[in-house]
Amino acid sequence: MRNILLVAAREYKYIASTRGFWVMLLVLPVVIGISQVAGRFFRPTLESAYVIVDASGQYEQAIEKRLEINYQRVELSAFSGYVQRWGLEDVKPDAVWAKGDRWFSDDQVAKFIADGGIEAAAELVKPHAPPEAPAYAVDKPNYVRAAIPPGVETSAGPDRFAEGLAPFLLDQIETTQGKRPLSLAIYIPADMGPASPVRMWTNGAPNTTLVDNVRNEITRVMRGKALEASGLAPEQFTAIADMSAPLTLSAPPQGAGREQVVIRSVLPLAMVYLLLVTVMTTGSMMLQSVIEERSNKLLESILAAVHPADLMYGKLIGLGAIGLTILGVWVGAAVGAAVSVQGVVADIVKPSLAAIDQPWMYAAMLFYFVAGYLIISMLYLAIGALSNSLQDAQSYLMPVIMIITLPVVFMMVSVAQQPNGIFPVILSWIPLYTPFAMLARMGAGVSLLEVAGTGAMLAAFVVIEMILLGRLFQASLLRTGQPPKLSGFVAMMFGKTTT
Amino acid sequence: MAILKLDHVVKRFGDFTAVNDLSFDVPEGGIFGFLGGNGAGKTTSLRMALDIIRPTSGAIEILGRKPGRENAAEIGFLPEERGLYRRMSVLDTIVYFGRLKGMEQAEAKKSAERLIERFGLGEWTKSMIEKLSKGMSQKVQVASAMVNAPRLLILDEPFSGLDPVNQQVLEDIVVEMAKAGSTVIFSTHIMQQAERLTNRIVLLSRGRKVFEGTQDEARATLPGRLRLESQADPAGLPGVSSATRAGAADGWTTWEVALKAGSTPGDLLQACTSQGFALRNFESQRPSLHDVFIHLVGGEQETAK
Repeated sequence: MRNILLVAAREYKYIASTRGFWVMLLVLPVVIGISQVAGRFFRPTLESAYVIVDASGQYEQAIEKRLEINYQRVELSAFSGYVQRWGLEDVKPDAVWAKGDRWFSDDQVAKFIADGGIEAAAELVKPHAPPEAPAYAVDKPNYVRAAIPPGVETSAGPDRFAEGLAPFLLDQIETTQGKRPLSLAIYIPADMGPASPVRMWTNGAPNTTLVDNVRNEITRVMRGKALEASGLAPEQFTAIADMSAPLTLSAPPQGAGREQVVIRSVLPLAMVYLLLVTVMTTGSMMLQSVIEERSNKLLESILAAVHPADLMYGKLIGLGAIGLTILGVWVGAAVGAAVSVQGVVADIVKPSLAAIDQPWMYAAMLFYFVAGYLIISMLYLAIGALSNSLQDAQSYLMPVIMIITLPVVFMMVSVAQQPNGIFPVILSWIPLYTPFAMLARMGAGVSLLEVAGTGAMLAAFVVIEMILLGRLFQASLLRTGQPPKLSGFVAMMFGKTTT
Repeated sequence: MAILKLDHVVKRFGDFTAVNDLSFDVPEGGIFGFLGGNGAGKTTSLRMALDIIRPTSGAIEILGRKPGRENAAEIGFLPEERGLYRRMSVLDTIVYFGRLKGMEQAEAKKSAERLIERFGLGEWTKSMIEKLSKGMSQKVQVASAMVNAPRLLILDEPFSGLDPVNQQVLEDIVVEMAKAGSTVIFSTHIMQQAERLTNRIVLLSRGRKVFEGTQDEARATLPGRLRLESQADPAGLPGVSSATRAGAADGWTTWEVALKAGSTPGDLLQACTSQGFALRNFESQRPSLHDVFIHLVGGEQETAK
């Protein structure tokens, strides 16, 4: 055991002194850190500005009101989903947002606005939200009205207006919320009609919602005037215009239904991914380590003091520890990121652990992880022992990597769709894939019987693999010349080698 | 007591017999030469003694025990094919091998530092192996083999790849180790080095032992040779196998004389004196190990051909 640990410690220290290890170790934390910083400081500004000239004096106010109603409607819909998700209906049971999913009419939205709109509603429920719930994030409108820049002529017709405004459409314009790109300019002539249409100019990237809202509101006002002229009372017109199909769109609340299947699989699938990355990373390190010892011709010196089996176990432990270090840092970085982003723990982490509600399941996950590491690492060790150089190793490695990763990647996609579908279940009973498939399915809940069955089969497979590939490894260490043929491999695995 | 004993050891690799019924003893103390040409079975035999590979049949005893890693603490081994971890420091490398041989960290470090100084590598203590020259790397390998002050030091072709200066350094170390009480076994196919260093030798050819004993005993296997100057032909003298004319001057002829087996130059000189055979010069020629090797192994190799 002493020599096993000495070999393991040397492998660990040796790999930990390489630049590649530190790059590997820090890549995820750095990416997470950069993405968080970038998210905070370099978030693109979606808000754009618009200007409006209403020479007719009939539409400007209506358009402003429509924009506000439509913005608050979108927020109201999102806010009512938030209230439902966190069970906050009792904060104000008679509020429009406490009624669940629905289409909110203009009247309902107007009342919502009268009550203070989304800002007031969000403030109202904030003290009552459970600790794990993130505060409701109010999205501001992605457009803001700007005043007509000084010097732009507005009373000499649309062409003069366009001429004066042209430079601003290529640049930013001052608004009450700072400078914003001017994406839309609207000119409504006094005698608006087929001969004198509403004119709009954009900067090439207009806010389509804004354009639609403006067009629809002008149309609506025009129709209202026409109907009023034909004798319809304004109240009747408003009632008809606000009429919409009595439709309720129902979807599972956030974190439930289809979403729940995906969320529950997040952590198990992350485990599968980490297992795959860990074994591939440490496996290639193991491969290089064995090839270096073989090509540097230092194995004989070592084998005079260390039994080949101890050398093998030492490598497995040392590089396993390297894998665990990488894993620990990555998981730590991911947990740190999850905790720092409010709501992730509650929305994703906790639901994904919901199905893993028994202590034995954690033990099973650890077992599958370790078994997966051993299965793949042994393959890498054996390939390393058979190869005289990294070029040699590539020819063995490529098919092995394909055979392992392709089904695992398909399986991960399949589990996200249907955790207990036929493909993941079949893979659960093929030892090479058992650790991956069972880890992935844990989120959806697997029976103790299935865990026991696949676990027993996997344990037997690992033992047999360690014996057979262990013999191949030991018999290949001092081999010289070209790698043996298939019959040679089999002979070595079954102890029929002459060394 | 024999520090290494092979008893009818056979090692086959498939159809190829690398070592064939090999038996010999290495007594404790001194320097033992394990000689033979390429492919004679020297490395295979040493690997079996170290339990790196197992014999097909026969028995091996090393340090009075069966071969195994439990003997590593008392053995130093320098293989023919040598290498080191390129990105390990000189000190760490030697300490690592010491630790693998059962030494404690502090003890291994102390011994390593002493050897580093002894080999003139002091300023390279913390340098990576990849920064060293080949000669310096080989010194590190030798130090790694010696770090545990082994009772038995096994050197497989230790001089191959070394320049003359470093060969001399290694020769000095081998002699020093032997004087300090270690038994040194070294395999080589360079007979001059064996001749300078060894007390006893085993000579292998094609996996078989063809000789075991002292250097003098080895030379005795060759017919005696000498050079003399006489006026008459020495061919008729007792004990002379053949006499070949090698030159003549002033009425004296130089002869290369081969003696019959069992006959010594002293016997011939006595016969000359008693028979009144006139001599102007008489040079006894001592056969070298190279001659012995050619004599014993050359025939085997011819037979093999």
